[in-house]
Amino acid sequence: MNIIETHNLSRSFTGTEALSGLNLSLTSGKVVALLGPNGAGKTTTLRLLMNLLRPTTGTATVLGVDSRRLGPVQFAQIGYVSEDQQLPLWMTVRELLDYCRPFYPTWDKELERTLVAQFELPLGQKLGRLSRGTLMKAALLSSLAYRPRLLVLDEPFSGLDPLIRDEFVRGVLEVSLSGDWTVLVSSHDIEEVERLADHVVLLDRGRLNLSEEADSLQRRFRRVEVRLQGESPEPTHGAVEWERAGDLLRFVETGYSGATTEQQWSERFAGASVTAQHMTLREIFLTFARASRSRSKGVAA
Amino acid sequence: MLPFSIDLKPGLPVAEQILFAVKRAVATGQLSPGDPFPSVRVLSQELRINPNTAHKVIAALVTQSILITTPAIGSLVADRSPSGSRERAELLGAELERVVVEAKNLGLTIDDVQAGLVTQWKRLTRK
Repeated sequence: MNIIETHNLSRSFTGTEALSGLNLSLTSGKVVALLGPNGAGKTTTLRLLMNLLRPTTGTATVLGVDSRRLGPVQFAQIGYVSEDQQLPLWMTVRELLDYCRPFYPTWDKELERTLVAQFELPLGQKLGRLSRGTLMKAALLSSLAYRPRLLVLDEPFSGLDPLIRDEFVRGVLEVSLSGDWTVLVSSHDIEEVERLADHVVLLDRGRLNLSEEADSLQRRFRRVEVRLQGESPEPTHGAVEWERAGDLLRFVETGYSGATTEQQWSERFAGASVTAQHMTLREIFLTFARASRSRSKGVAA
Repeated sequence: MLPFSIDLKPGLPVAEQILFAVKRAVATGQLSPGDPFPSVRVLSQELRINPNTAHKVIAALVTQSILITTPAIGSLVADRSPSGSRERAELLGAELERVVVEAKNLGLTIDDVQAGLVTQWKRLTRK
């Protein structure tokens, strides 16, 4: 079953479209990174999925239920932590946990204890007196302890120092080891989630740019350099950012498939020296972002 | 702590990097036959990687007969039986093809490659 599915999901704010026609289906058991620059529509998407916003048009289904009908039964299986989480700041950490526990039939006291120790949370302190990092850890703990089927994290790492971020990731991994669950984490910084994500979804200015397995992306993208010997070849299918300076030809291959592609190159660039480098997810996304910008410029002109 | 050296770098697929690090550790004797190998949980926690990735790595190592798994004990580094040498040579074939492609791209000769191989061999197998 797809744990999340959207059909033409759109949302406008006073006439401006923050999300346009999003079609997405995500299978369970994955860590999915929702990526894109600020203003790409990540938070709007997550808030639509969590029924904190209503779609202008289109629909979303979460855990098999229309997002507009999500209720206590579903929210007992969903964890949601956002950057601007509203927490009862007058409560102590212990009071927060005592308050949350009865809402969740699946609350795991053993896991709660493990995470309190791992996160070094001061149980007797009021939430309002905690540092931002510790507060985020408390929020995460109160969303992890009932082992939700779906964990939604909206920019969880922004403003966290590296040590806290590391503890945060460990906490998420700790729970993810225990079976079939899905994490949807948004970030504007690819490197924060590079090692975590099985699947990446890339948004740009309210539109879906890409939804693909991280492995498959890294397999099919290569940055290629060719030392030409005179001739001036035309761009091949699957090659983008085709640039030539003197006898140096540079491009990004989007359909690399090992020896087959290498063979094609050696025929095409007869005798020229070709080097092909792996690309980081960040480089791959920049390639997508540039392509989508130049497409929209082309439309405007 | 993990029983093999690894420094994950951005760019290369994480699973490939771990596979390579483990094979290198076995080749250099950092991991010996019978040594316990970390579980999915430990790999995932220590390297801060997705458990699915950790699981994939261990499954690949088992398929390639570098690890054996027993339900009771977990994964162990396998004994290198001579009967598997043909499969191992085939496994190496793909790696060698990559080396040859790289070398030709860089305009190196077969002599350069052989000299490079000897140097690496000595570097990794000296005690």
